[in-house]
Amino acid sequence: MSAAVEIAGVVKEFGGLRAVDGVSLRVAAGERRVLIGPNGAGKTTLFHCITGTLAPTAGRVALFGRDVTRLPEYRRTALGMGRTFQISNVIAELTCLENLTLAAVGIDRRKWVLHRPVTAFADLRDRARAGLELVGLGPRADELVRRLSYGERRQLELALAVTSRPRVLFLDEPCAGLSPSERTRISKLIADLPRDLTLLMIEHDMDVALGLADRVTVLHQGRVILEGAPGEVQTNAEVREVYFGHG
Amino acid sequence: MSVSGGRIALGAAVVAMAAALPFVAGPFWMGLVTQMIVFGLLALSVDLLLGHAGLFSICHGSFFAVAAYTTAILQVRHAVPTVLAAPAGLLAGTLLGLVFGLAVRTRGVYFILITIAFGYVVWGIAHRWSSFTGGDNGVTNVPFPAVAGVRVDSHTEYYYLALVVAALCALGYRVLIRSPFGLALRGIKGSESRMRTLGFDSNRHLYAAFVLSAALASLAGVLYVYYNRFVNPVAASFPVSVEAALMAIVGGSGTIVGPFIGSAIILGLRNWVSSFFELYAAIMGIVFIVAVLWVPEGLVGLAARVRGRTARV
Amino acid sequence: MTTSAILQAINGTSLAALLFLVASGFTVTFGLMRVVNMAYGAYYLLGGYVGLSIVQATGSFALAVLGGGAAVTVFGYLVDRFLIHHTGENHLAQVLLTVGIAFVVGDVALKIWGGDSLKVPVPVFLRGAMELPGGMIYPTFRFVLIFFGVAIAGVLWLLYTRTQIGAVVRAGVDDREQVSATGINVDRLFVMVSALASFLAGMAGVVGGAFLTLYPGAEWEILIVALVVVIVGGLGSLGGAMIGAIVVGLLDAYGRWLLPEFSYFVLFGPMAILLLFRPQGIAGRAA
Repeated sequence: MSAAVEIAGVVKEFGGLRAVDGVSLRVAAGERRVLIGPNGAGKTTLFHCITGTLAPTAGRVALFGRDVTRLPEYRRTALGMGRTFQISNVIAELTCLENLTLAAVGIDRRKWVLHRPVTAFADLRDRARAGLELVGLGPRADELVRRLSYGERRQLELALAVTSRPRVLFLDEPCAGLSPSERTRISKLIADLPRDLTLLMIEHDMDVALGLADRVTVLHQGRVILEGAPGEVQTNAEVREVYFGHG
Repeated sequence: MSVSGGRIALGAAVVAMAAALPFVAGPFWMGLVTQMIVFGLLALSVDLLLGHAGLFSICHGSFFAVAAYTTAILQVRHAVPTVLAAPAGLLAGTLLGLVFGLAVRTRGVYFILITIAFGYVVWGIAHRWSSFTGGDNGVTNVPFPAVAGVRVDSHTEYYYLALVVAALCALGYRVLIRSPFGLALRGIKGSESRMRTLGFDSNRHLYAAFVLSAALASLAGVLYVYYNRFVNPVAASFPVSVEAALMAIVGGSGTIVGPFIGSAIILGLRNWVSSFFELYAAIMGIVFIVAVLWVPEGLVGLAARVRGRTARV
Repeated sequence: MTTSAILQAINGTSLAALLFLVASGFTVTFGLMRVVNMAYGAYYLLGGYVGLSIVQATGSFALAVLGGGAAVTVFGYLVDRFLIHHTGENHLAQVLLTVGIAFVVGDVALKIWGGDSLKVPVPVFLRGAMELPGGMIYPTFRFVLIFFGVAIAGVLWLLYTRTQIGAVVRAGVDDREQVSATGINVDRLFVMVSALASFLAGMAGVVGGAFLTLYPGAEWEILIVALVVVIVGGLGSLGGAMIGAIVVGLLDAYGRWLLPEFSYFVLFGPMAILLLFRPQGIAGRAA
């Protein structure tokens, strides 16, 4: 069975700077992989390269056995990719329900319908509502997203990513900027996601990361320095050095 | 979507007033209102892109003019009947929209600048290719529109024609902006990167919106040329295109009635000012400045703000 | 035929010199300050008319060039400080606002200087025609304009690439936060750059008014061609403005000569091609 995500030798250069310097990794279907590393390690850039937001300078990206290196993001979404952004990227001028409706219709041919109101499509509406319920935003369905708090936007962000029924989910620091209770809430939401959904997550918070992960990949200065089970990584000397500055 | 009783009453009043206008107003006022409707349609076409897709296009005068010129030339020089000349004009403008739609490969300032340049190309051709377009004199003596023996040859009749066409367009527009396509445009306006990761090919959607707006602008152009009975390069000029955007903004971008209200305000203002003050272009300039600095959300938005909620029409 | 072709090349190059003066200000203002100023054409016109009045009053072309530039610099500063300042980075607002300003300037200018095409008189030693190598006769002023344009371009380029201020501006075009980080007074820098840009546009009006003449509508014609230069060369790039000016100047000259009715279409060609393959222009950064 082919891996959910397989990348080989991905490099991303900006001017003279190599943000990602030859990263290869393989995430099996259904696996929960967490990517950790200090700031500037290239984690988000790597994500951008895998999801198609940026084009890699070199290397190959494959999703479910299919080479997607040259494919634009919206095509990758159609193949089963879902993602959240490090900084909440939601549509503030629309309501929560409208945001989720767009997520529901994103890979559906009906996004091209010009002559019927969007409210006529009950199944889309139901899926949108279900997505909101899942993250606990049901009561805020008709509110404009710009009125939501930061934490609520993070929740919406997660809902957007899962509503398109992805097979692999890319989460970029889903807990960033959240209070401890919000953090717990989001981690639980993620933990409760279906087990056949492959997860690739960037996380800064070690506890959250190690709690959710099957395997951990450690990135430093654009390269993988260690890959293994959470326990291994936690006790590894090099990792401690990179994170805390002492062996 | 529930409509309050007050809204229905207001709507009925407007319809009644519109229908009754010819009985209380002379040809001059009817002509002015007809113009407000025609330019309101043009402003609406610009607002499809501006208010819903987030693209500021300043070349819609081109589609307007190309449609007008095509219809005029066919009727005047080739005696093509209205039933063919009008659709031909509509088609010509829309085809131009297919070409200028290339501009959606850019965003932001680049998009604005490129549409300005495109608009000027059309103006330049209308101005310089005198043998075909009539140069600065344009194409004159456009006959009254006539289909199957029915001629529209009075101000009153034309007013009703414009009113009906505009009403139908407004209804169609309403359907469009409430559709999944319309919602997708607003999503792209809000965050293109998010929409792309949700599976939308934003360029394709924007291109489609551009072509649709060109078609609507072309329809306005056809209405214009039959009303005006002539067309000259001014129709394709930069001021016309920019004013269409200003009308949408002053009236309330993102709404259906906003562009029409804006058209009424701008044309009404110009009419009033030019009767006693030579420098009315300067006055229009000041309106631009004032609108931008103090009333960016337009009259509809302002009214809604006063009533305490956001305008969603 | 070849003589005509060469003649057109010189026409195009002299036009390019003029275009560069207007386009360079626009592009650097955008690159550094993210301000879209559609009143540049009006600045050109205003500078030209003021210069014309100065020549009529004093007889000095040089004074006219400087005076026209200075008048626009002051006007531009007022516009920046009291109007554009409030638009932040809202390009839509800036376009509408500056278009409004251009309308006001154009209309007031019409009232003051009238609707006829007016020519700015050039000094005696630049009048008439000169003989070029190869036996061609060419208007002296336009030929000298090329050198003037090259000289200005050279000075700007030196300022841009060899001075510290230039380095800061270049860095600022790339990344605005960097500018504040260097400790240089950002506001003052912006004012200086904007002033220089306005000065160039005003100067261009006097110089352009000497061979293209000044008339209502000229402000939009020059602006649009300058915009094509900026699109082709890439927003924010001074080098791009130079290349763009030459490309557009030559295309315009050859276009008017070979296909007079479609000369605007000739300008459209490179833009359309560029859009297809490189939307950010020759030297511009990806949007």
